[in-house]
Amino acid sequence: MKKTYIPKLDDLLGGGILEGVSIMFCAYPGVDCEAFGYQMLNGRVEDGDRGFIFTNVAEPETIQYEFNSYGWNLESFIDSEKVFFVDGSSSFLGAPSESKYTIQDYAEVEDVILDAINDIPKGIGIINNLSVLIDYMGNGDTIDIIKNWNQKAKENETTLVYIFTEWDYDTGLIQKIKESMDCVVDLTTIEERVIIGQGFMVARASWTEPVETMVLFFVVQPGGVKVYVPKILVTGPYNSGKSSFVKAITTESVSVDRKALGAFPTTIAMDIGHVDYKGFLADVFGTPGQERFDLILNVLSKEAVGAFIMVDSTAPKTFARAKEMIRKTRAEAIPKIIVANKQDLPDALSPEEIREKMKLKKDIPIIPAVVTEKKGIEESLDALLKLLYGD
Amino acid sequence: MKLYESGVPGFDALLGDVGGIPENTVNLLYGPPKVGKSIFCYQFMYNGLLQEEPCLFITADYGLKELQQRTMDFNWFIQTHMQQQNLYVIDLLSRLSGKKLEDSANYKISSLQNPTDMMVKVGTGTRAVFQKSTKFRSVFDSLTVQFAFNPDHLVLRVLKAYINRIKEARGIAIITHTEGTVESKIEDYLKNTVDNVIYLDGNNITIEATEETQEVKAPYTIDDNGISIG
Amino acid sequence: MILRIPSGIPGFDVLTSGDGVGGIPENTVTLVYGPPKVGKSIFCYHFMYNGLLQGEPCLYITSDYGLKQFQQNTRDFGWELDNYFQDETLCLIDAISSVSGSKIVDTPTYLSSSVHNPTDIMVKLGVGTRFISQKSARFRSVLDSLTTLMAFNQEMLIVRVLTAYIMRIKEDGGTAVVTYTEGSADSKVETMLKAVVDNVIHLDGNEITIEAMVGTGKKKSSYEITDSGITVGE
Repeated sequence: MKKTYIPKLDDLLGGGILEGVSIMFCAYPGVDCEAFGYQMLNGRVEDGDRGFIFTNVAEPETIQYEFNSYGWNLESFIDSEKVFFVDGSSSFLGAPSESKYTIQDYAEVEDVILDAINDIPKGIGIINNLSVLIDYMGNGDTIDIIKNWNQKAKENETTLVYIFTEWDYDTGLIQKIKESMDCVVDLTTIEERVIIGQGFMVARASWTEPVETMVLFFVVQPGGVKVYVPKILVTGPYNSGKSSFVKAITTESVSVDRKALGAFPTTIAMDIGHVDYKGFLADVFGTPGQERFDLILNVLSKEAVGAFIMVDSTAPKTFARAKEMIRKTRAEAIPKIIVANKQDLPDALSPEEIREKMKLKKDIPIIPAVVTEKKGIEESLDALLKLLYGD
Repeated sequence: MKLYESGVPGFDALLGDVGGIPENTVNLLYGPPKVGKSIFCYQFMYNGLLQEEPCLFITADYGLKELQQRTMDFNWFIQTHMQQQNLYVIDLLSRLSGKKLEDSANYKISSLQNPTDMMVKVGTGTRAVFQKSTKFRSVFDSLTVQFAFNPDHLVLRVLKAYINRIKEARGIAIITHTEGTVESKIEDYLKNTVDNVIYLDGNNITIEATEETQEVKAPYTIDDNGISIG
Repeated sequence: MILRIPSGIPGFDVLTSGDGVGGIPENTVTLVYGPPKVGKSIFCYHFMYNGLLQGEPCLYITSDYGLKQFQQNTRDFGWELDNYFQDETLCLIDAISSVSGSKIVDTPTYLSSSVHNPTDIMVKLGVGTRFISQKSARFRSVLDSLTTLMAFNQEMLIVRVLTAYIMRIKEDGGTAVVTYTEGSADSKVETMLKAVVDNVIHLDGNEITIEAMVGTGKKKSSYEITDSGITVGE
């Protein structure tokens, strides 16, 4: 077995990937997916394997620059002939190329990549980007080409990594592409009106029954793909004040997000932070309120030690959803605090009225709060600490 | 419902009694080359900035340096708004200059032939402007060169992803396109993907009919203060 | 305030002057197009030569006339270029001589390339722009013509090459003129050309039309070609 060099991914794949398999990172538009391919290649080459990068989205120089920003030295790999480029970008722009292979015309791409695979038995090839290829080649051709590449890779025990952006293709086509791969890893966005996080999940792997879980990640420069496991969840219906609450309870100075931003802008930010309160340290994640993200709540709450459930005290209509979210987060099993936000508004219900409407047991604390005025923040944290550690 | 002032004198009145562009609206601004499409965009962006409405600006026809120069021709100074991080620029062109350029928190370099990377930056960009204010604007100027660097279908797919991103956040966007640079069926598709279609021909501005509204047309002129209608 | 540089064409700068000094807006790219043989190349020679006279170096890409013919063409109007090659303020990228088999040795100011090989043209462009822009912060460039490049290559590739060319020249502070023969490419490509440049000038043999120019409205005038080049207006 080979490692993927993506944190947590090997665990989900039963230890790693088999020799000669194809693996596709299938990204929803907006997810940073290129880093996954580059990180795999970097890890493998550092451990002695050889590799190539096919690019039709950036000139080799740009990719080298990107590797540098992650802290990986692609230049030395190229100088020592451990890695070479299959350059499908430069000639398209009329730019010169010093790569081992250059593609002048898309008609050549199939054969050139077959040659490249032949050059690196037991190595790793990155195809970035498969979606751009599809729109140039046509659907049917692309699938045949993928099959031939994967066949050749199998014979050579070469790992092939595809970067694929799931634009609005025909679902049948996407299905066929996925079926032609040994392994598919879905990269998705977690959104509440805007992207607030990214997660990966193994959709299929031919050699193992993958663990069905979603892993939160972010990409930092330097560093690459980092996994994030929050211990405290902040959840609640839309517009209940989650983001502001996360901001209010976390300390800026040690927030992972901020730290990464300081080093170099992260490619994607998340509603995450770090609590440092009375000696209690934990990572926090504000999860989106929409139903389509309930799966994430479920997954994340398995690792969480506590949860804040935000409710808008002026919007009793949303209480049913809040109650449902408590169930989905399996927060029944972990200590949880209800934060009754927006107590400053005239039509806000009192904590006891909320308890009655939501039919909550007496032992669940409901803390009145005005998050925008920082009221009830410390009380909420104290209440959670009390549940976790007693008095 | 949020209403946006276009900043183009006379334009909001053309929209009827509403008095502005409603939130969650994506507008296609198209016409022959050199009729003022970009100027319309700058005016729309700058007017928003003056009202603390941040803007996500994707520039595909001019690099940042030129964008600054071209807006300055109208005395619209975007530098301070960039410093205050109210303006978030995704620059698809400057990398072609062959120079090494540095990103910043709200200036991102991407490239014409890497739509995946552009969408990652649109993701961070919408988030950044949304956090500044939920009332934000976006401009995509223009699709024209995109079509020279990508297969037509891919440009349309990317456009759809961009529109979804803006609409999900209930923002407002203007997308520009040069008439006659792609096949007419692609142009038809573009028009069908957006909420409003605005046509500039050098003399007149036309807001094309929708299911609810009728076509309106008015003359426009361009001077040192930008575009004005009527 | 839009800075303009003189075109060197009698009458042209007056035509383009609004309230201030006319000429070609600095740090922009101008497309000069029209039917064959209406003076597009002559326009370019004016623009180049006027710059050289004022100490502004020029990077000239020729794909229609090789070095010898190019020098002969300018000499017809009394413009001698030898001195400028010698003092290294004129740099020529000759993309046609090699095609006809002439062998000319490259010098710092003469770079041979081929219309068949846009990649090589781009390489030489990089070399040439670096060389010229180091001479002066203000310089001119001419690309004459896109038509020939498009005849030998995929049209869309030339649009992409042009986009990169424009970006490079502008980033380094240059001002450029590019030419194109009307109707020689697909109409979609032709429209795209007009979209990617800043200014559009049409010549038809009798009339010059400023179809678009930064800070200038549409302008039209008659023009004629004599022994001393183009003259705009009466």
